[in-house]
Amino acid sequence: MPATKTAPPAKQTVSHAQSHPLLSLWNAYYESTSTRLKTIDAFLVFLVLSGVIQFLYCILVSNFPFNAFLAGCVGQFVLAASLRAQVNPANRSEFKEVSPERAFADFALGSIVLHFFVYNFLG
Amino acid sequence: MTIFHRQRSQGMRFLRGLLLPLVALAGFAFARSSTGDSVLVLLDPSLDRDNFSIFFGDLEKQGYKLTFRSPKEAEPQIIKDDVAQFAHVIVFAPDTKSYAADITPQSLVSLLNKNTNLLLALSTKQTPITSLAAEFSLILPPPGTPLISHFPERDTPATIIPVEPPRAQSLVSSNLAPIWFSGVPQALGNNPMLVPFLKAPPQSFASDGDSDSGSDALVEAAEKGGEGLWAGSQLSLVTGFQTLKNARATWVGGIDMFTDEFFNKEVSKGKQSGNRQFARDVTAWTFQESNVLRIDTVEHHRVNETLPRETYTINDRVTYTAYISKFNPELDLWEPYSNIKDMQLEFTMLDPHIRTALPPVPGEPGKYSVTFRVPDRHGVFKFVVDYKRKGSTYLESTTVVPVVPPRHDEYPRFLSAAWPYYAGAISTSAAFVIFVALWLGGDEREPKKGKGAKAE
Repeated sequence: MPATKTAPPAKQTVSHAQSHPLLSLWNAYYESTSTRLKTIDAFLVFLVLSGVIQFLYCILVSNFPFNAFLAGCVGQFVLAASLRAQVNPANRSEFKEVSPERAFADFALGSIVLHFFVYNFLG
Repeated sequence: MTIFHRQRSQGMRFLRGLLLPLVALAGFAFARSSTGDSVLVLLDPSLDRDNFSIFFGDLEKQGYKLTFRSPKEAEPQIIKDDVAQFAHVIVFAPDTKSYAADITPQSLVSLLNKNTNLLLALSTKQTPITSLAAEFSLILPPPGTPLISHFPERDTPATIIPVEPPRAQSLVSSNLAPIWFSGVPQALGNNPMLVPFLKAPPQSFASDGDSDSGSDALVEAAEKGGEGLWAGSQLSLVTGFQTLKNARATWVGGIDMFTDEFFNKEVSKGKQSGNRQFARDVTAWTFQESNVLRIDTVEHHRVNETLPRETYTINDRVTYTAYISKFNPELDLWEPYSNIKDMQLEFTMLDPHIRTALPPVPGEPGKYSVTFRVPDRHGVFKFVVDYKRKGSTYLESTTVVPVVPPRHDEYPRFLSAAWPYYAGAISTSAAFVIFVALWLGGDEREPKKGKGAKAE
């Protein structure tokens, strides 16, 4: 949402971005998003790439042991995405009772429990 | 002496090696049956026992105890209190139409079910025995039509025929002289349990014996395109039948081939007929002396173990072993037998999931062994050995074993193929740690940017 608001100034500053909407989208995102949200996004991108690689391996080579495949990164992705939704200032109105600190603590606790189970079922 | 020896040989197998030379030294030249020595001979009063003196004398010499009885006498009974009284029954009553109450086709069949062996003679007359022959898949020509052959040229009537013995057949001695035969041929039905011993000569045919030539019958049949003609080498003269319980019944087309006259009759100048040896071979098979096999024990275990498991796990490698013995009639012993080359083992659950050769183990007599991988399928399986060959005792063995999936702690762990998944999980954790560090470390800088974003 903030990206669309800040889009016009981005177009003015970067002249050659006008030709390419994707590039302008990227610039707008780069300038208007907070470092924390970018960190979360980087984390999410990493998880998606890791998941895609594992999925391809599962299809092309071997899905055995299947439990190890399932134990992968989907759960972590869901938790990270939830954290991003809760700490985003644009969503402040929807999560009034959840402070960013509380959201992070929830995320950390959930992730630690998740990792515990993943390693339990991995071998 | 013999009873003592038999008990020893049955009771203590390890003494066998010690006893074997002893027995050989004692000189038991005669053969013994694997099922017993008592023989009941149902001899029709019209047949003189002296005419068969060589045949019966040979049997007695081999150690059989013959009991003679007329078919119409009531004693001794063949089945008493539902127990067969004799190990073997010879029915030499080809013309007898009425029997004592205890001898019926049904009682003869029930004898076979009690593992009593039968030797039955047929004739051209219609009797209860001929109607019983149809139950054994033997199709007899109409009454009063003996086998006739005008070849080779000889001075005997056309109904008394020298028959060339079969070549290359394990049941009958090789290099036999031709065998004199007089009687009815049998066409064989489509029954796998039939074992033909002696086939009719190709030039022979069944016809009314009174009109000597028999050419009328041939002409008639030729007009009908050969239909109804009983002729040629497809006809059998002496036919064995082995029931599923391994009792043996042999049907002989004519009783004359067992007479002293035929035994001593010359087939060519100075050459005696093969009847005597042939009769010996036929009785040896019928009375379960020859070609008698048994499975002593079967074993199964996992590879690298020695004892059988209660259950096997899918994909286990399992060794199955069978020990097979053959009866040696001369020594009255069961000896390890390794000459079966075509036996198969099946591992079945409704269908055979595995069917594999069960070959003899070289160097270990009587031992047949195979190692195979249990299929990737759990359920109640059976090891099945089902070896049925013509003329030989049927070998059957079934062992039930459950095949189960691996227990929860029996699966392989940390496979090399799964390393991408493990790497994925580890990298996710590592990324989580880095993320947390960045988040907490970047805490001071964040409010500025956040304020900036808010200000916009």
